[in-house]
Amino acid sequence: MPELISHPPAFLDIRRASKSFGAGKVLDGVDLAVSKGEFVSLLGPSGCGKTTLLRIVAGLLNADQGHVMLDGAVISAKPPHHRDVGVVFQSYALFPHLTVAENVAFGLHAKGADQSTISPTVAKFLDLVHMSAFADRSVKALSGGQQQRVAVARALAVGPKLLLLDEPFSALDRKLRETMQIELKRLLRELGTTAVFVTHDQDEALIMSDRIAVMNRGLIEQLDTPDTIYRRPATAFALEFVGLSTRLRGKVAAVKGAGELLIDTAFGSIRANGNYLPGSSVLIGVRPERMAFGARDGANTVAAAIQDIVFQGSRIQTHFVSGIDEPFLLETGGELPARLAPGQQVPVSWSIGDTLVYPAGPSA
Amino acid sequence: MSGARLDRMIWLALPAVAYLAVVYALPLLWLLGRSVTGPDGVTIAQFTAFFSDPFSWRVMGNTLRIAFWVTLLSLVIGYPVAIAMARARGLMQVMLLVAMILPLSIGVVVKAFAWQIVLRRDGLISQGLVASGIWAEPQRLLFTETGLIVGATNVFLPFMILPIYSVVKLIDPRLTEAGATLGASPFYRFRKILLPLTLPGIVSGSAFVFSMAVSMFVIPSLLIGDRFQTLATLTGRSYLLMRNEALGSTTAVILLVIAVSIVVLSTWLSKRVGRSL
Repeated sequence: MPELISHPPAFLDIRRASKSFGAGKVLDGVDLAVSKGEFVSLLGPSGCGKTTLLRIVAGLLNADQGHVMLDGAVISAKPPHHRDVGVVFQSYALFPHLTVAENVAFGLHAKGADQSTISPTVAKFLDLVHMSAFADRSVKALSGGQQQRVAVARALAVGPKLLLLDEPFSALDRKLRETMQIELKRLLRELGTTAVFVTHDQDEALIMSDRIAVMNRGLIEQLDTPDTIYRRPATAFALEFVGLSTRLRGKVAAVKGAGELLIDTAFGSIRANGNYLPGSSVLIGVRPERMAFGARDGANTVAAAIQDIVFQGSRIQTHFVSGIDEPFLLETGGELPARLAPGQQVPVSWSIGDTLVYPAGPSA
Repeated sequence: MSGARLDRMIWLALPAVAYLAVVYALPLLWLLGRSVTGPDGVTIAQFTAFFSDPFSWRVMGNTLRIAFWVTLLSLVIGYPVAIAMARARGLMQVMLLVAMILPLSIGVVVKAFAWQIVLRRDGLISQGLVASGIWAEPQRLLFTETGLIVGATNVFLPFMILPIYSVVKLIDPRLTEAGATLGASPFYRFRKILLPLTLPGIVSGSAFVFSMAVSMFVIPSLLIGDRFQTLATLTGRSYLLMRNEALGSTTAVILLVIAVSIVVLSTWLSKRVGRSL
């Protein structure tokens, strides 16, 4: 489809952003539109180009092609200090020679604000991140979580149009990370800040985002709400990367009526919906919590041998014997049916509507 | 237990301590003693005589002035190089390091003679400036203060670059990027982030270069000659040519006092700067 000239630019509008380092193409013409006040995550494995995209938006890196628009103006050619784009770095990058308050005041001083506005602004943002008591401390004396709070306050204090966050939680332990995620999300919502967040942690992306852009090999494979990304992954990569899944390879055996497929797999025939020609190789995906023990009429039912039962507190995972690269697992919230044990052959079922189908290579 | 281990470890320093005591501390003590003894026993007459002579003040002025300019020039040239070296990657960094360290293996005398060739009336600089029309006719830079400063800076430059380089290496490059995203201009970033963080390196580099420039002997001997005296060349002349041990020991002690105060002052300064960082 040709690009529509009349298409109005979004608040943050990235068009055809490309970047290569040497022979390696890191970004392959990425489009991304973010609305005002929205929280969008760039989710993907390391090397997928997410940090490169973030640095291009911040002006710390020049794209080979494409342009970036923010609030109606093209900012691609502007240096970072004229962009009004704040960044929270993975290492926080706090100024070690300054106190907490001086760090937060840095941007205000740099922009030439006068002292009568700087002090109350610094006080306000330190209060928002619960760091008022540490105002006069050296940043070197702070814990990781406290440093992160200061980094957020410092970036927000100058009132940027857009806030970029580069894996800001990766250095924190799990418990603290979860608290900070919810806290930061609330803070940004209250301030109405537009934010783009880079992470390789799918849980983090699901918890925090209004929308998630799943990135792979320099492209966005899917851009949608966390709910849709999880329930209806658009590509096999999105299925594999976000959340757990049962994945089976198969071949379309027959097509009935309006896209009803019959797929041959190692576990027998499986029914699904989709548009595929008979004979095409496909990958079948099912979320483990959509599967249940026991046979069900009108659903896919297969027999599988239990390999392991993994207790995880609030949920229990049952892994079944299956091929390499073809995980077959079922997740139950409450208790397992009695007398289940590894080695047993049991019937497992899931509804046809929960059966996701993706094109797969011809390899068996 | 760790105290006991430390005590035993201390014996490892014995060879160095013994060596320094014999070849350094004892002669130094003898020198100090010589500077405060006259034919009639202990006296400060040599110092009062020295300080009452206007020529001595000119020598001290020469020494400090040359050392000051050499330090300043080394800093101005060396600072950007140190930053570039610390931020360079791969082959570029290796090349820069080699380019700086390799000349250290060439003796000072050789370098000074090389500078003689460059600074002569028919030398490279003179010819270049005449050819480009800046100078109307060839001039001699050799045996001038400018020539001495340029030549000495060349010799001492690595000692300015290395301490600054090692400090910059430890600074997270994200810091200046963070400054940029906060709206700080490149100059503001330099003034408020890079400069304060590299100050300890600047202080120790300057202390190195200044104390070496104050006490250099070979370079001024070859590049400016006898008509221009510094404390170090005067000390040398007193011993070697004039056989005036009283004068030589006096100037040597004054030189020593200057050098020691630079070390003490810069240690204090970098500690103070370090604390405030």
